[in-house]
Amino acid sequence: MVEFRNVMKKYSNGTVALKGVNLRINKGEFVFIVGSSGSGKSTLMKMVLKEENPTEGDVYVNGYHVSSMDRRQVPYLRRSLGTVFQDFRLLPNKTVYENVAFAMQITEALPKEIRRQVPMSLALVGLSKKANVYPNQLSGGEQQRVAIARALVNNPALLIADEPTGNLDPENSWEIMKLLSEVNHRGTTVIIATHEKIIVDTMKKRVVAIDKGIIVRDQQKGLYGDEDKDCKIYN
Amino acid sequence: MKIRTAKYIIKEGILNTYRNKLMSIASVGIVAAALIIFGIFYLISINLSNYTKALSDMPEMEVYCDPNLKDDQVAKVAEGIWKNGNIKDAQKVTKEEAFEKLKKLLRQDEQQLMTDGDDLWKGYDESFMPVSFIIKLDDPDKSSDTAEQLEKIDGVEKVWYEQGVIGFISKVTYWVRVISLFLITILLIIALFIISNTIKLTVFARRKEINIMKYIGATDWFIRWPFIIEGIIIGLVGALFAFVFVSYLYNMAEVKINKDLIKISFNSIRFVRLSEIGVTVIGIYSIIGVAVGSIGSIFSIRKYLHV
Ligand SMILES: Nc1ncnc2c1ncn2[C@@H]1O[C@H](COP(=O)(O)OP(=O)(O)O)[C@@H](O)[C@H]1O
Ligand SMILES: [Mg+2]
Repeated sequence: MVEFRNVMKKYSNGTVALKGVNLRINKGEFVFIVGSSGSGKSTLMKMVLKEENPTEGDVYVNGYHVSSMDRRQVPYLRRSLGTVFQDFRLLPNKTVYENVAFAMQITEALPKEIRRQVPMSLALVGLSKKANVYPNQLSGGEQQRVAIARALVNNPALLIADEPTGNLDPENSWEIMKLLSEVNHRGTTVIIATHEKIIVDTMKKRVVAIDKGIIVRDQQKGLYGDEDKDCKIYN
Repeated sequence: MKIRTAKYIIKEGILNTYRNKLMSIASVGIVAAALIIFGIFYLISINLSNYTKALSDMPEMEVYCDPNLKDDQVAKVAEGIWKNGNIKDAQKVTKEEAFEKLKKLLRQDEQQLMTDGDDLWKGYDESFMPVSFIIKLDDPDKSSDTAEQLEKIDGVEKVWYEQGVIGFISKVTYWVRVISLFLITILLIIALFIISNTIKLTVFARRKEINIMKYIGATDWFIRWPFIIEGIIIGLVGALFAFVFVSYLYNMAEVKINKDLIKISFNSIRFVRLSEIGVTVIGIYSIIGVAVGSIGSIFSIRKYLHV
């Protein structure tokens, strides 16, 4: 589903964000990517989206050889996965319904399909009643649920979320994580980069810990872990 | 592209143009001004080359007799003409022929004179027309001397000859073309710049939206098209305004100038009608409008597509 082989990333300013990452995530998994700020989580996620390219190594996603694919193919890669961001990224001048429908419109989906899929997606995230409301009339947690509905509306096999609860209070964070877990139970592979120690520790999912661009721990039913200890061991 | 996608794109394009009213109006104005200036020069050059063509169809020299001359007096004039040393050929044009020619010439301007057929000629016959001789010269360079000599023959009323006008007009036409080409280039660059800036504003205002679209997998063309439509709308509306303005101006000039042309000569020189070139002008305008609009917008969106 997702595979990183010896991925090294050096930004143009000289910063080395990833130093030889090997990672394999299979279909149906639920994976937390954890690590302190600046450890390289977002860089990893951006490579899945082909927002950044590895300086060395290969990235495979949903059968695409992402690191060597043509620019024109990128939209199709992105349609094959759902993406959720810390800042929601909803269109302010479109209603909740229109925001979700838009993700289908750009794929030139049939109007009939759109009318069928969008309510289903909104029901899944529990926002059927707010379909005709604009994003600025929603709480942060609700906005993030709209973003998840949008990410799921095209039935992607993979959902990636970079700090999806970063702008939310603890209660809403829990709601979002539970929702993502439910999405996973329905068969979607889910990858979440996060800081939420308590949530990670409680959920007992696979945890990939990354520090200064190196994977320092990869554990099934893992805990967030002690960053200081990890650092000491591997430095 | 699917029809529903085309609909979406056109709707977005129109919305973009509308949301960006002030700059859109300014750009339409600039495009219209550029096309009007170009149009004026273009129409002048078309008329000049039409004039040149008409002139080159004309004889080198024509000698008109007094309309009241009797046949034997006309024969004397012919003798006098042939005595001149510079005559290669002289062909007589009878009163009847001259009258027919005049009728035929004026019939071309029927619409303008609002006559159908011969009503206008009621009460007239060929008797008021002069007999004339169409002359070819051995040495056209001496035409002014020859004309002077022929004018002195008894019964000759007027001698018309070509005075190097063709060469002069060709030269003028050439320069008008060069200038209009130069003008259109400069004006189009300005128009391109203005349109591209207008659309840059739209793109900038919607950069977040573009970014989101890229993340959820919209293709570059899907993102680009509404902006191109915006540019095309600006270009076409500018072209339309320019066409309406130039047609109005040209129609006025045509009526006025054709009246004068008919008064001063029996020659087949007249202003080209708008109906004959209108389609060409509107075609050129549309092509330029669409090209400037779409190229301008492609320039301005390039930067934001590389997410
Ligand atoms: N576009 C960029 N250009 C230069 N350096 C960057 C860029 N993006 C991230 N970095 C650097 O790469 C490292 C990893 O960043 P990031 O992947 O954002 O970490 P995280 O998401 O874990 O906080 C950091 O040192 C950061 O400063
Ligand atoms: Mg980050």
